[in-house]
Amino acid sequence: MRISIIRKLTAVALLLMSAPIATAADNRTEADSSWEKGIKAYADREYDQAVEEFEAVVERGFATADTYYNLANAYFKLGQTQSSASGTGFANGELGRAILNYQRALKMDPSMEDAAYNLDLAVDYTNDTESVPEGVISGVWTSVRDSFTSNTWTIVSLIALTLTLAHVLIYLLSHRVTLRKVAFFAAILLFIAFVLTTWLAISQRSSQESHDRAVVICNSTTAVHASPDSSSKIIREPSQGVTLTITRALGEWYEVMFADGEKGWIPSSYIERI
Amino acid sequence: MKQAFLKRLYLTFAAMFCIATANAQVSFTAEAPTIVTLDDYFRIEFTVDAQPDNGSFRAPSFEGFDIVAGPSTSTGHSIQYINGRQSSSFSCTYTYLLKPNSTGTHTIAPASVAVDGKVYSTQPLLMEVVKEQNQSSGQSSAGNSNTNDPENSVKEEDVLLLLKLSDTEVYKGEPIHASLVLYTRTEIQDVSNWEMPSFEGFWSQELTTNSYPSRELYNGLVYDTHELKEYIISPQQSGKLQIDPVRLSIVVPVVIQNSRYIDPFMGGREVYYVTREIATPAQTVNVKEFPAGAPKSFAGAVGEFSMQCSMPEQSFAIHTSQAIELTIAGNGNLKFITAPELRLPESFELYEKKVTDNVKTSINGTSGNIVFTYPFVPRAAGEFTIEPIEFTYFDTESNSYKTLATDPMNISVVDDGSGSTHTQKADVDGYGRMKQLNRDIRYIHTDKLAEAAPMTLVLSPGYWLTIVVLIALFIVIYVIMRRRIRQNRNIVARRMKRADKIAVQRLRIAQSYMQQNNRHAFYEELLRAVWGYISDKFNIPVSNLTKETIREEFYRRNISATDAEEFCEVISRADEAQYTPSSDGDMNEIYTDAIDIISRIESAAK
Repeated sequence: MRISIIRKLTAVALLLMSAPIATAADNRTEADSSWEKGIKAYADREYDQAVEEFEAVVERGFATADTYYNLANAYFKLGQTQSSASGTGFANGELGRAILNYQRALKMDPSMEDAAYNLDLAVDYTNDTESVPEGVISGVWTSVRDSFTSNTWTIVSLIALTLTLAHVLIYLLSHRVTLRKVAFFAAILLFIAFVLTTWLAISQRSSQESHDRAVVICNSTTAVHASPDSSSKIIREPSQGVTLTITRALGEWYEVMFADGEKGWIPSSYIERI
Repeated sequence: MKQAFLKRLYLTFAAMFCIATANAQVSFTAEAPTIVTLDDYFRIEFTVDAQPDNGSFRAPSFEGFDIVAGPSTSTGHSIQYINGRQSSSFSCTYTYLLKPNSTGTHTIAPASVAVDGKVYSTQPLLMEVVKEQNQSSGQSSAGNSNTNDPENSVKEEDVLLLLKLSDTEVYKGEPIHASLVLYTRTEIQDVSNWEMPSFEGFWSQELTTNSYPSRELYNGLVYDTHELKEYIISPQQSGKLQIDPVRLSIVVPVVIQNSRYIDPFMGGREVYYVTREIATPAQTVNVKEFPAGAPKSFAGAVGEFSMQCSMPEQSFAIHTSQAIELTIAGNGNLKFITAPELRLPESFELYEKKVTDNVKTSINGTSGNIVFTYPFVPRAAGEFTIEPIEFTYFDTESNSYKTLATDPMNISVVDDGSGSTHTQKADVDGYGRMKQLNRDIRYIHTDKLAEAAPMTLVLSPGYWLTIVVLIALFIVIYVIMRRRIRQNRNIVARRMKRADKIAVQRLRIAQSYMQQNNRHAFYEELLRAVWGYISDKFNIPVSNLTKETIREEFYRRNISATDAEEFCEVISRADEAQYTPSSDGDMNEIYTDAIDIISRIESAAK
């Protein structure tokens, strides 16, 4: 009697334990099938289908840089084919969504060269010519930072730390004067490298985790107002695909900052956070 | 003198004139209305544009007509100087006033006239004589009315506006010739207030009209006709299409005999201008549906066409922009032809089509050609076959669909490595986007779906753990190494301390061998004692021991060079003596020298 209860309990426990594992595995297979279908639909130029499938992959939690990249491509091609068919390009905000997803892919993996290239090309299709040049130092810093992901920087920094400690050991334990000298300077340089790469990793991580940047996805006239009130004066009318920085939120309104530093208020439904 | 000159000049002119007239082609024409009513009096004029020979005119017999008056002859002569050039014209007209005496078609036989002895004759004229149905009103309304009301004097049927359509049963897209014709039985002063036809549901194009006024029998009445406008229209939808009436106002001068006031000079006539609004009757065109069973490639083209396809090259580099040109020529609704579908292999990117038309609209519809340019960029190398392009039109002659197809084209795309840097641009103008032809988004990533995004490592517990482990490892290694070094150092120190004792022990053994007179064993033990001493004392591995290293080591430790030399000498003497037979005294001497040098080094190295 008792044994049977224990058996039942263990069976239930096993079931409970295996349930999340099973659903996770199901999720994975379904995401895989969506992914394959999406690739096939894209190859067959059925871009609306491809968009659906890649969106499903994202929904299932596989929001990788590649998924966002493929989704962005599908959106871009969908808008482009419509534009050649009807003459009105990117009528439903496909360009905005393409740019949003390229930005998301780059946020996940800033070193993804294909996404950077396609983003550059997609931005050419927007009417947004107001790009503000970055400062030389901050430009170099971002470009160096974005050449690797945060995790790569972390690994590099840990290797630098290991090497630093190894050289300190050589310095401390060696009898040979020249070896000690070399080890000493090498240890100093490696320690600087460690500090720098750690900083890069932290900076990259914070830029990856921030959700301050957003992309205009609405195709109809988006008006940026002077205050969070639709009757207030319209400052600007950004087209879809323009990237903004959200500085604060108030109800249904976001205060946004343009690349040139101008600020205004926009209804939250017009933009989507990267 | 002067008069004589003028006379000569005149004669010269006269002579020139004669030559001019003699050389000119003489035309002799007869002119008369084509349709007359039985009650009409009408004129027939025979005109010759040269001086006819006297009395040479022979009039035809006007069968079916009564000659009311004539012939009356009139001549006209004019000389023109334009830019110093002289031109002259001469005309002689014989006019008869005739009245038909029977209905039917009558032929007026040719008249003849002689010019400079040569006989010319006119073409025979065909004339139709009709009897108008409503004779009394027809005759009385001809502009000369006796009634005093000018408004009533212009009858409804005197002025008509008609839109004549070449066909009212057509297929969608089939061209129809429409002409707007004004029918009048009275003089017209002015036409105003045009209201242009709208042709709703039709595509329309106006043609340039250059027709002459003529006469026509309509509803039993004879009218003068003027073609006002000509159009080519083609229906754009099927079903019954109504063409809205076309309206315009005309002004008719009416001459009224004024009975009250009789002007002795002008005959008491007054001219009134009567304005009339006239409109065409509404017309419907029945646009028929195309028969069932249209091929897939049919897109509404109607008429008769031919198709030609050209490909600039058979072989080209990857990633370069190329274009296929498709020319459709013929007669029909060319302007409404949509580009036939071009199916390219998967790896080809097809861009926006460009359409150029060279179309003329004439009375028979639109004709000419239309060129579709399909720009594309191959993205993969290899041999490809472009499927035939199909184009179907509806032939109104045979009421059937006809399909034209191009030949399949074989092309080869070569990857010469320079493709991506190729900067050849499509020469398609008018499309801003086309400038980016060589630039398109890169293809999607087709690798297997990666795991969900990995967590960030930096500042994570694992990261801190790794750093702690590294530092701990560092400390552990340092401590262990430190201890081992210290131990090593102790061993060396002990060995150094014990170096002389070991040497002494070995030397003692050597001494016992010396007493046994065992030379070989003695030298061996002696050398071992000396080498071993140096090895232990200066912490040099035995394998590294040579005389040179010993000298270096002595120098490094500030032991005098003579000691070094002496030490080396002992070693070399022992080496030599080991294998050479020698006296006992040698052994003793070398033994004391060895003890001596070791003790000296021992004291120096302290």
